[in-house]
Amino acid sequence: MAKGSDRVRFIVGGKIFETTTTTLASAGRHSMLGALLDDSWNLRQPAAGVGVGGEYFIDRNPACFAVLLDLLRTGELHVPPKVPERLLYREALFYGLLDHVRAARWGPFDGNLLRPAASVAGRAPGDGTAIRAGPDGGCCVAHGSMVHVYDWMLEEHRPISLDYQQVNDVGYLDTQSIVVTARERLGKGDGGMGLFCSSTGELRHRFRVAHDNQVKSFTAGALSFSSSDHTIFSSCKGRCNEYGIGVWDQNTGQQVDFFYEPPGCLLGDADKLQWLDGSNCLMVATLFPRTDNCFIGLLDFREKSVVWSWSDAGITTSLDEKRVLHAIAMEDGRSICVVNQYEDLGFMDLRSNAGGVRWSSRSRLMNRKLPAEESCYPKLAAHGGQLFSSMNDSISVFCGPEWVLTSSLRRSYGGSICDFSIGGDRLFALHSDENVFDVWETPPSPIIY
Amino acid sequence: MSAQKKRNFKIEAFKHRVEVDPKYAEKTWKILEHAIHEIYNHNASGLSFEELYRNAYNMVLHKYGEKLYSGLVTTMTWHLKEIAKSIEAAQGGLFLEELNRKWGDHNKALQMIRDILMYMDRTFVPSNRKTPVHELGLNLWRDNIIHSHKIQTRLLDTLLDLIHRERTGEVINRGLMRNITKMLMDLGSSVYQEDFERPFLEVSASFYSGESQQFIECCDCGDYLKKAERRLNEEMERVSHYLDAKSEAKITSVVEKEMIANHMQRLVHMENSGLVNMLVDDKYEDLSRMYNLFRRVPEGLSTIRDVMTSHLRETGKQLVSDPERLRDPVDFVQRLLDMKDKHDKIISIAFNNDKTFQNALNSSFEYFINLNNRSPEFISLYVDDKLRKGLKGVTEEDVEVVLDKVMMLFRYLQEKDVFEKYYKQHLAKRLLSGKTVSDDAERSMIVKLKTECGYQFTSKLEGMFTDMRTSQDTMQGFYASQYSETGDGPTLAVQVLTTGSWPTQPSAPCNLPAEILGVCEKFRAYYLGTHTGRRLTWQTNMGTADIKATFGKGQKHELNVSTYQMCVLMLFNSADRLSYKEIEQATEIPAADLKRCLQSLACVKGKNVLRKEPMSKDIAEDDAFYFNDKFTSKFIKVKIGTVVAQKESEPEKHETRQRVEEDRKPQIEAAIVRIMKSRRVLDHNSIVTEVTTQLQSRFLPNPVVIKKRIESLIEREFLERDKADRKLYRYLA
Repeated sequence: MAKGSDRVRFIVGGKIFETTTTTLASAGRHSMLGALLDDSWNLRQPAAGVGVGGEYFIDRNPACFAVLLDLLRTGELHVPPKVPERLLYREALFYGLLDHVRAARWGPFDGNLLRPAASVAGRAPGDGTAIRAGPDGGCCVAHGSMVHVYDWMLEEHRPISLDYQQVNDVGYLDTQSIVVTARERLGKGDGGMGLFCSSTGELRHRFRVAHDNQVKSFTAGALSFSSSDHTIFSSCKGRCNEYGIGVWDQNTGQQVDFFYEPPGCLLGDADKLQWLDGSNCLMVATLFPRTDNCFIGLLDFREKSVVWSWSDAGITTSLDEKRVLHAIAMEDGRSICVVNQYEDLGFMDLRSNAGGVRWSSRSRLMNRKLPAEESCYPKLAAHGGQLFSSMNDSISVFCGPEWVLTSSLRRSYGGSICDFSIGGDRLFALHSDENVFDVWETPPSPIIY
Repeated sequence: MSAQKKRNFKIEAFKHRVEVDPKYAEKTWKILEHAIHEIYNHNASGLSFEELYRNAYNMVLHKYGEKLYSGLVTTMTWHLKEIAKSIEAAQGGLFLEELNRKWGDHNKALQMIRDILMYMDRTFVPSNRKTPVHELGLNLWRDNIIHSHKIQTRLLDTLLDLIHRERTGEVINRGLMRNITKMLMDLGSSVYQEDFERPFLEVSASFYSGESQQFIECCDCGDYLKKAERRLNEEMERVSHYLDAKSEAKITSVVEKEMIANHMQRLVHMENSGLVNMLVDDKYEDLSRMYNLFRRVPEGLSTIRDVMTSHLRETGKQLVSDPERLRDPVDFVQRLLDMKDKHDKIISIAFNNDKTFQNALNSSFEYFINLNNRSPEFISLYVDDKLRKGLKGVTEEDVEVVLDKVMMLFRYLQEKDVFEKYYKQHLAKRLLSGKTVSDDAERSMIVKLKTECGYQFTSKLEGMFTDMRTSQDTMQGFYASQYSETGDGPTLAVQVLTTGSWPTQPSAPCNLPAEILGVCEKFRAYYLGTHTGRRLTWQTNMGTADIKATFGKGQKHELNVSTYQMCVLMLFNSADRLSYKEIEQATEIPAADLKRCLQSLACVKGKNVLRKEPMSKDIAEDDAFYFNDKFTSKFIKVKIGTVVAQKESEPEKHETRQRVEEDRKPQIEAAIVRIMKSRRVLDHNSIVTEVTTQLQSRFLPNPVVIKKRIESLIEREFLERDKADRKLYRYLA
């Protein structure tokens, strides 16, 4: 292509912009600007008028066009103070550049670089059940019988309403679909598990459980997804002692398996399920205070067996002692990390069945006091080789082979953190008192690398 | 409802605008509809993308997405119905071209429509769970064109007809075919499969079923396979040119089934050209083709393998049981080796070195070699022959090759201990007569046997080599000590053989001539003097001697004879005529040996240093012998061999067998004791199986013999029968 013909002129809302087709090519063929320049729409102009290439008129906001053009040129997003974000997002959607904006909005996740990006006030006071990060940077907050859904622009969508059934857990299957588990109410035969549309809040599918070819109502608890097998796991409690873990196919929504609770293993009441890709096992953790004795087990569904388990039955004697309050399987699939009421981390080796919890000696003295009455139980999360634990109103970040505390994330209001979640390169922390949640993100990388 | 919802957000301006122009949506849609018409009419150059995009955007923004979407469906459907009409109207051969052209147009139009409606695709479509525009366009094309009543069957018939014509040798427009099948694939794999692939496979099956029937009636096996291979390649080529790559496995399996699997037995057994003929005539190319084709179908290779195995067993059995062949052991083994080479070559060239075929070959050889119980003897004789004379002037590598081949046959033998017996005998003869060609070759053979059967197997053979070496040293020592006394007397070379290592038959020593006897006594004194506690026995039946003889006209010859022959000839130093009886009396040589020795001295032409009366081939008790004064020879040195049957004679054979059986007894007993010692209690059948597996590397023990051995062990109180269960044996420590 000749040098001159590479230039394109735009008149947007009265202002003139000049750029090159190469810059616009980075918008992609499936954007408005890409289609605008495509040959099929430019038959009229004989291959580039002399001197100037095409000239296009677009009836849109020029200020936003300038920002977006700059984004296409540099890959970075700089929003002038006089341009409201919502306006920019609307314009980006018009041009089909919303994904570009999102990608430039925040950088790849790193627990040590997080900075607070937003704080969203809750709809009702206190007692949020769970917060879950979506794959694209959105999130949803379960609260009572409602699930409030926010997209990555933190705009609230129509909430998922469950008609007064208590929500137990939620999870994103993909950007468009959210799975919600709910408690069955006495005599109603409802509860169970449903798939909802994240943008409209509509119910799209109800997951069924059948025992002996008979569909039964059930209470669904913790959720987990396996991306390799395309399955959904949920702990289930049926009315007639049908306790265990149900398994459904992500594509068909049909039940494919049910792992009945063997004696001595608490599965139907589990607090946390986690699928381990490396070993093809499901970790199930049932913890205090739901049960008096903590049980953590690893299930192999192909052999229908509990391949590893641990319980503190008979170990703990008094309330003051260290108690396992939350557990996660580490990303390498070799150990399980647990946390107690003093925010001590402990580890258990999955390769041997005998060892107990190896508590790290890191305990901070300041936390060596019984947690206040209204405080929340600690939670754990692992992401990208970093370990996160929430305690009271802060989240600690641990790194390295020795799990050294490297950062502490704290906001001053909203009360203690009852749940947090990492996903879409963002961290969401839900505070118990006001039901307010914070969004933490990594800023884009500096200009000079 | 939408107005009510808006009220919450208080966007007054919006509400106001809707009220001002209630026909807004209708007007906007008209613009877009017109644009779609223009696009389909190839008249898009007058359109402004920006304007159309903005209009579509506004419709979606103002909640007219549904109207926009349904309008698109209606408009596009109308155009496709028009297109269908024009395609239906196309005459004969133009049909496919028209279809292809319209498909191209539609794709282009679809792309432009999608550009205009991009905003709808991005927002309205996913949240309302509609089909995206591009997919919608394909679905409408499928429903209105491909599945239109008049086009569907015509399209299929045209495609199948073209393929049929190509199969019969015509040239068709492959580019067009590719475009059309590509269209079917673009419309979804189910469209391609249902509307084309399935009928295509059915038609192909019937085509090839007919063709294969025709071929098999008029072609021989090789030609048939060539044709089948060509057809298979053609179909694969067809797939690569204009069908979906996934169809390849399906169409090839149709061809395989119709052309190969259905006629497999008939092909293999085809008269004059089937598998057996190919094997006999070394038709590597045909065999390789058969292997590659049959490999594609289930049971194919096993069919070839079974026929090959039965052919091998048949020919092998003929070979080993042919009395003609049994006369010449060397030729017998050579034929086995040739047969093995031939089939090894076939397997490596034609059968891709297939392990299962190699196993079949091995098991066939093992089967028929052991049909003849003289095989071990013959193989040993073959080695004997090679090491005696056959390997002269051959490089070391070639020697290795020959020995390796022999070892291969050896592996097939079940009675390895019988081989060992014969090998020992033959080796002894070679060593004692100094006839072995290459010491290295001998040792290499021993090493091979050792790696094959372990140290035990060859320890005695190695002992024989050691004896030979120490004998040399002993002789040197002897002559050094006798240095002063060596006069005119005969030179003696003694080989001291360890009893047990050598296959010596106890035989009464003959009467040696006085000259020799003296030296022998000296040696005995020397040897026993240096080695205390030993006993020497002369094995006169195994020695040789070089003697000088003067015949008539003063002709001098050096005769190379055996010890027995020497004894006989020495008698003629003092007499010219001796009767058989006199010779027998004087020498005390056993009758059989004496007869053989006299026969070789008197009856072999050119070597007849004695004359016999009456003249005849055989030696009788009342014959008389004369010194043959008229003996002449071109050579100074004359070697007089003993007339020996190279093969064993019947009684000898019997004897060897018996000895082998005798030797097996302790081995079987040892195995039983070993097993019982570790197992303590075992039933009869298990013992038999275990003993068989333990001894397999040496020989295949007979269950009856094992039973006898067990009984003998019970008698000697090594084992006892269980009191309750008579089938159980108990080890007694």
